[in-house]
Amino acid sequence: MNPMILFILLFSLAMGTITTLSSYHWLLAWIGLEINTMAIIPIITKKHHPRATEAATKYFLTQTAASTLILLSSTLNAWTTGQWTITELHHPLAMMMLTLAVAMKLGLAPTHFWLPEVMQGTTIKTALLLTTWQKIAPLTFIYLTSNHLSTKMLFTLGLLSVMLGGITGLNQTQTRKIMAYSSIAHMGWLTMILTLNLNLMTFTLMLYITMTTSSFMILLMSESKTMTDLGLAWTTSPTSMLLLMLSLLSLGGLPPLSGFMPKLLILKEMTMLNMISMSTILALSALPSLFFYLRLSYLMLMTIPPTTTTTEHKWRHKNNTLKITAQLFIITTTLLPITPLVNKIL
Amino acid sequence: MSYFLFLFLLCFALAIIGVASNPSPFYGVIGLVMAAFFGCAVLVGFGSSFVSLVLFLIYLGGMLVVFVYSIAMSAEAYPKTWGDFLVILYVFGFAFLILVFSFIFEVSDIMGSLTVDNVGLYVIRMDFGGVMLLYSIGGPVLLLCGFGLLLVLFVVLELTRGLARGALRIV
Amino acid sequence: MTLMQFTLLSSFTLSMLGMTMYRTHLISALLCIESMLLTLFLATTTFMQTTQTTTITILPMTLLTFSACEASVGLALLVASTRTYASDHLNTMNLLQC
Repeated sequence: MNPMILFILLFSLAMGTITTLSSYHWLLAWIGLEINTMAIIPIITKKHHPRATEAATKYFLTQTAASTLILLSSTLNAWTTGQWTITELHHPLAMMMLTLAVAMKLGLAPTHFWLPEVMQGTTIKTALLLTTWQKIAPLTFIYLTSNHLSTKMLFTLGLLSVMLGGITGLNQTQTRKIMAYSSIAHMGWLTMILTLNLNLMTFTLMLYITMTTSSFMILLMSESKTMTDLGLAWTTSPTSMLLLMLSLLSLGGLPPLSGFMPKLLILKEMTMLNMISMSTILALSALPSLFFYLRLSYLMLMTIPPTTTTTEHKWRHKNNTLKITAQLFIITTTLLPITPLVNKIL
Repeated sequence: MSYFLFLFLLCFALAIIGVASNPSPFYGVIGLVMAAFFGCAVLVGFGSSFVSLVLFLIYLGGMLVVFVYSIAMSAEAYPKTWGDFLVILYVFGFAFLILVFSFIFEVSDIMGSLTVDNVGLYVIRMDFGGVMLLYSIGGPVLLLCGFGLLLVLFVVLELTRGLARGALRIV
Repeated sequence: MTLMQFTLLSSFTLSMLGMTMYRTHLISALLCIESMLLTLFLATTTFMQTTQTTTITILPMTLLTFSACEASVGLALLVASTRTYASDHLNTMNLLQC
């Protein structure tokens, strides 16, 4: 791809999301979503492989259907209330439609089937874009309308996606698909906390983006596309494998790492509101996700598969780690001690 | 005019059923053309003739023609018409769904809003003034639209770019 | 709910159902997306006409522009998938299934 065209595409990818973030009127928010969707499609098909074309087609169909549904819900709301402000979503049917459309855009549980397939069809960098940057624009909608959304519906969606994201991710062997299922589960956590504490949702999103980015950086560096690749990836750099293990366990939410903090705070918030059974189910359904993160870490670090290699390093030694990886890893692993501070601020 | 509007809306719904009921693309695109045509007629009946003209010229004249050409990509030897068994199943299913919706939503008012004979042809029309706003205070939206079209040019070129000269692409 | 709103709402729902149910061709799904956008165009114009809000006329125009954009991206995807898969049948797109 021509660098100038790539620049235009990335620019509009950023501009679409920022338009959605800063808009007050449904029309501008919808324009932002559309520009964002159109800009990412050629990025998905950057390598004109049949798989990439298929991924782009699937992505296009789901995203377009969801964004037209968003515009329909705003029109329905305007028919009854007579105004187009995003924050004033009063019509119950419109509210329901918006929730479903956003769930479809985010990849929440009943409408999540497109996400692993699209991620599998693209490169690792584009998969990183899909799991992090593309989540921000749809989340803006439910952030802005969160006062009017139905708590029960969001709880159902969130709980379903935490469970299904964990269970269906169990038999995957491709790293991008595993990351997709982890993204589905994390989006479930976000929607669970959405109606209870908005700031906590934002904080969870930021931490999720950081953890996912740092994991993807190592996958990108070692070019690991399957679990088998990860088993031999220690030859490229043993240190980064250790860091990848830490960041995966942080995604899973193990205590000394910073991924534990949002889960702890969410569960605390829910128990304080007396939702004991719901929070128990939520905590327990995080276990299958933890299982596949642990399996990944086991394969890449704790065991050495039998090989015929005698050298300790790959002969083709490329060191294309980005500088930002170090800072990301500091945030990913050592943020837990500031939990009381975060708790105070939120 | 109310009776005409009723007729146009009925035809519009039938045309949409014609698109949605999964016939061959040849027939689906005919359904979409009919839907666009009756949509224009409905808009004229409601009194926004300029927007209707824009819809007619751009949607029907510009986009749907491209669609009709592209249908040639999916040429079939034995296309399924609306009389085909599966398609007619869809048609009746969708018509039944509309019936169910009409019980759920309680259509209270038959027309409800202003048709063109209530307002008359001699008042200042809303849509002329509205589209004009696109060139004054609505300028940023116009710029965004222009940017979107420019972006789509690059997107389409990048998507259809082939690495080989044949009809089929070698990866 | 007036008859106009009822017709538009139900035709949008039907187009969406038609898109999500099993389609043979990619282009039929694109046609359904186009009919969804056409319905939205009519809906916003009706809103403008019934509430006498002049400023909202910008909305259908923008909608038309972006539906043209979507249609062209969809047709480009159609061309790309026809060139890689040699047909536009949706059931050939099964490389990525889990």
